[in-house]
Amino acid sequence: MASDVDLVPLVGRADHLATLRSALLDGVGPGQTAAVFVTGESGVGKTRLLREAGDRLRVAGALVLTGACLDIGDSSPLHPLLQALRRFDAELTASHARTSSAVRGLLQMFAAETAGPDGAGALLERVSRGLHLIAQGRPLVLVLDDLQWVDRSTRQLLLYLLAGLGDLQVSVLAAVRAESLQGAHPLRRVLTELRRLRSVRVLDLSPLDRAGTEQLATAVVGAPLGAEAAESLWQRSGGNPFVVEELARDLREGRDGLSETLREVFLARVDALPQAAHAVVHAVAAGVEPVAHWLLAEVTRLPEGELIDAVRAAVAHRLLVGDDDGYRLRHRLVAEVLAHELLPAERSVLHRRYAEALTTATAELHQARLAHHWRLAGEPARALPAAVAAAQEAERLHGYAEAHRHWSAALQLAGPPAASADGGLDVDRAELLRHAAETAHHCGEHARALSLLEELAAAEDAPPACALHIRRARYLAAAGRSAPAEAEYRRALTDVDCTPRERATAAAHLAELLLHLGRYADAGDRAREALELAAEVEGSVSEVVLASAALGFSEAYLEDPDAGLAVMREALDTAERAGRPEDVACAYLHLAELLTGPLNILEEGVVVARRGAERVAELGLGRTYETRLLAIATNGLFRVGQWAEAEKVVAAALRHRPSGADAVELLLARCRLSVGYGDIAAADRDLEAVATVLAGGGARHVIPLLTLRAGLAMWQGRHDLARQAVQRGLTESRSDDVGILAALVWHGLRAEAEAHAARATVDATAVRRLREVAERVARKSEHAARPVRDVVDGFLALCEAEVSRLDGSDPALWARSVAAWDRRHHPYPAAYSRLRQAEALLARRSRTASAGRLLREAYQVAQGLGAEPLSTEIRTLAARARVALEERGASADGRSVTRAEPVGDELAVLTTREREVLAAVAEGLTNKEIGQRLFISERTIGVHVSHIFDKLQVRTRVQASAIFLRNRSE
Amino acid sequence: MGMSEPVWGPVHQDIVGLLADHPADVPEVVDHLTKLQKLLVRLPPLERSCPLADFNELYLTITTSVLNGLYDDRFADPVFLARLDVEFAARYFDALRYWTESSPATPKAWSCLFKRMRGPDARPLPSAAAGVNAHINFDLPFALVTTFDSLESEPVDGTDQHRDYLEINQIFAERIPELRRGYLDNWQLMIDMLNGDIDDWYQGELVEYTRNVAWRNAQKIWRCRHDPEARECERVRLDDNAAALGRLLLSPLGAFLQ
Repeated sequence: MASDVDLVPLVGRADHLATLRSALLDGVGPGQTAAVFVTGESGVGKTRLLREAGDRLRVAGALVLTGACLDIGDSSPLHPLLQALRRFDAELTASHARTSSAVRGLLQMFAAETAGPDGAGALLERVSRGLHLIAQGRPLVLVLDDLQWVDRSTRQLLLYLLAGLGDLQVSVLAAVRAESLQGAHPLRRVLTELRRLRSVRVLDLSPLDRAGTEQLATAVVGAPLGAEAAESLWQRSGGNPFVVEELARDLREGRDGLSETLREVFLARVDALPQAAHAVVHAVAAGVEPVAHWLLAEVTRLPEGELIDAVRAAVAHRLLVGDDDGYRLRHRLVAEVLAHELLPAERSVLHRRYAEALTTATAELHQARLAHHWRLAGEPARALPAAVAAAQEAERLHGYAEAHRHWSAALQLAGPPAASADGGLDVDRAELLRHAAETAHHCGEHARALSLLEELAAAEDAPPACALHIRRARYLAAAGRSAPAEAEYRRALTDVDCTPRERATAAAHLAELLLHLGRYADAGDRAREALELAAEVEGSVSEVVLASAALGFSEAYLEDPDAGLAVMREALDTAERAGRPEDVACAYLHLAELLTGPLNILEEGVVVARRGAERVAELGLGRTYETRLLAIATNGLFRVGQWAEAEKVVAAALRHRPSGADAVELLLARCRLSVGYGDIAAADRDLEAVATVLAGGGARHVIPLLTLRAGLAMWQGRHDLARQAVQRGLTESRSDDVGILAALVWHGLRAEAEAHAARATVDATAVRRLREVAERVARKSEHAARPVRDVVDGFLALCEAEVSRLDGSDPALWARSVAAWDRRHHPYPAAYSRLRQAEALLARRSRTASAGRLLREAYQVAQGLGAEPLSTEIRTLAARARVALEERGASADGRSVTRAEPVGDELAVLTTREREVLAAVAEGLTNKEIGQRLFISERTIGVHVSHIFDKLQVRTRVQASAIFLRNRSE
Repeated sequence: MGMSEPVWGPVHQDIVGLLADHPADVPEVVDHLTKLQKLLVRLPPLERSCPLADFNELYLTITTSVLNGLYDDRFADPVFLARLDVEFAARYFDALRYWTESSPATPKAWSCLFKRMRGPDARPLPSAAAGVNAHINFDLPFALVTTFDSLESEPVDGTDQHRDYLEINQIFAERIPELRRGYLDNWQLMIDMLNGDIDDWYQGELVEYTRNVAWRNAQKIWRCRHDPEARECERVRLDDNAAALGRLLLSPLGAFLQ
């Protein structure tokens, strides 16, 4: 369909187009992601800019997919993506291209999706896999208009892709109406967080300036404007290109001055339309855009020839635009003008026709649209089944927010209980309430879920009281309202109607809740009760696993670790015997958490986590539980100092392309390794990725993120950035997370100490505050359980020692820190403390011999880990103090923690990881190939290679390979 | 705007530069307000008696107290309060940005105060009160909704968040007397005139009362937040109400407060 939009030149946006091209394509490296959010008032030209930029990116070799979000509030989940794929499919079909099967495959995948556990995350992964196939190695650009109406699923998908979790080079270009961001729009917060990232830009599109306005008007009119006309146009349009264009068009057609405002311009045009065109415009206004041609024909009931003439007239009057997929109103303003033109009865006739036409044919958004039109046609009885179908469809695609809205709509359509009872509608109101409550619970509408549950409880065919207690407790716990949740569980336990199974469930969940509240003794009692109850009930394995975990942790906190461990091991056996995969997976997870958490039996915890990961992968739960178990293994390996191994495990876990909290855990774990290695680029990328995911929610991970940011900044000598990160963390952390808080405070104090050492300004206020927080943490941890206290004590020892660095570092305090970390078998912080202890001793010019010993010990550990920045600091200090780090002949005696095989002398300076890389270099592999082999990024390999070159003092891969071959142990 | 003088006169570029940043945590918000204060008092012709500076100073005082409260473990849910504070401030900075661009999107609740920036001279107390009015009656409910939405929580009475929210009233109560000093009786009279139906006004209740209204309004918006039309309706309603009250405060009647 012809539309003359493109005939008008794009004025005043050349810079923007250049910016977009470089931000979204040229400046994006392989495997990286980028996003630009264009904001601006309506009519400022966002859609036009998106289209032009999309065309240019396509010409430059990108695969561009374009879609728009819908404002009907109840569109289906992922609508803009589906729309983009359908459009692309149509284009490909037209040009007989080969990728069409990949597109079809992805569309088919949506059609076949079924609801299930971790469905939403698995769907994200499959979508990114599908996009990967479609892109065929080309950079992918998603262009999304009207993002202010984005559904929650699409929002999560975008953050997932932008965080690089889909392992896809993707850019996002999206337009957001500035007006919509006023008030309480959910995107506001997302943009506040995203705009801080290097890969994201927010482009505020301003109206044209006076010169641009005249240029555009001249282009439309086809001749220069007179001074008076130009001034009037500038005054009336305020530089808004849409307004400029429409006013200039009136000017060209000699209608200038008749219409003062844009509204009047459009009113005049609507009035001038022929009868049939009038009908067409109103029909499109009542429809869900884009309105397909066949649908418009059915609704207007015009014969083909007349319809085409009518559409042409509406397009010529610039009220309608046509595209391959259907018709849209030219602009929102047109809709506003038209809104007051029809009588309500006329409008409901149009909706009825839409509904009737859609009933006979399936189309995009079928059920949601059908419900929408039947409702507005005043036919609740016919809208109801469509709303129910739409809700089920949304649930199938894991869009609980959308599903919840459809269930609520269905409830409203069903009317009050009395209405349906006296022969009105044949609906199972209780069933609707049950679904509405459950979906509300799933999408975080806790209060709504609870109030729907109350309605359900009052309904005639309400579920039994016991089931209601348990469900209410579950909703309350999810809402963070622990006290009433506890009361509900207790009610379930005393309710005479409860089945033994239900009682076991309630007791097990109550035990878990109490554990989270830190009431270990209570939790233990309830867990024992649950185990007794479960013993009487055949098949209550889930309850056994849950209660055992609660009991295991409560015993661990109450200082009877062996008893707790035994219970948890038995639960694993029980789960294995019963054989339900989720129970086995949960049992492994709890056991691994218990070992690596409160019990601090790290080596065994790692073994259990890895064995469990293998086992659950066999059971088909790779994506969910394997990833979680591997995250536990990674963190355990990091702490015991097996970094090379940790790196492999985390890479294996990330291959599942996890999403949400699981992804954040892994990215943080990998980032922790990169910070330790001193791989700044890799650490930075992971921090950005985590921040991207967290922009969509997840306050729990903010403090670990900020702690790592501070740690990284310190290796870069940026105490100021470290200070900022810690300050933010201090204002956003709950003081009962003592372990996490203690680590943060240490980073803050270390930043000040490093600033002092670098002769930069120390922030005295920050030091005072940090010390206050440290004191508070110490006070709170006095009453905490032993395992919690142990973690905190290590960090507090570090804190106290860092404070002493501000005023003549105290070797005794550092020695205490060394002892604390040695006791916990955490070599990295212990090595750091040894470095500082040596530094303090040397500064006092006392006991140089022990300083030398400390430095050598620290160096050996740092080298074994591959902790480059720490090694460098140790080397610098050793050089200053003339301490020899390598004792002659003693450097290759295999004392290193991770040393796998004896190697020749010249390679002794390399870490295990570096030796692995060098071996691959000697095989003639490229960095990319090595990266694939070792499951780490190409860039990290580059860093390793440059370290290898430095240490071996060579300049080429050939020279390095020669040394490797010469020293290889035969 | 054409050839006319920039909105912020000689400090225009500085203010544009400052507003280009979007503070994302409470220390940054305090930093922003501090810098803004230094610029506002340089704005001719009123300089030190710039009515917006009167509000900004009060707001800076309150926000600094909130920041100290966060450092001092004063709140039960600091994540909530810190985000709320950032969202809350973002709306003030947004309003300033719209005003800077002479955008029609500037909330009316704010523009009645911004208009007075270049004179005629307004008394400090009503000016600060007009700002508090716009910020609490208009901005706060929306900041609450956005915060709850992003934390996947919701505005429920009696929760930790609600208690923290009310704790801010305490901060206002601690800070306002020193700003209000002897003007209490006039305040009281003014409030009585504005809210004829409220008969239990006493010292320090203005903020507490309006803050409770803001919490209720947030709950109201929360319920219709998925409905763009209803949400917009609420926004216009709150803007109109706050603007009406703001104009009254800045009218000769408001000067009476001083």
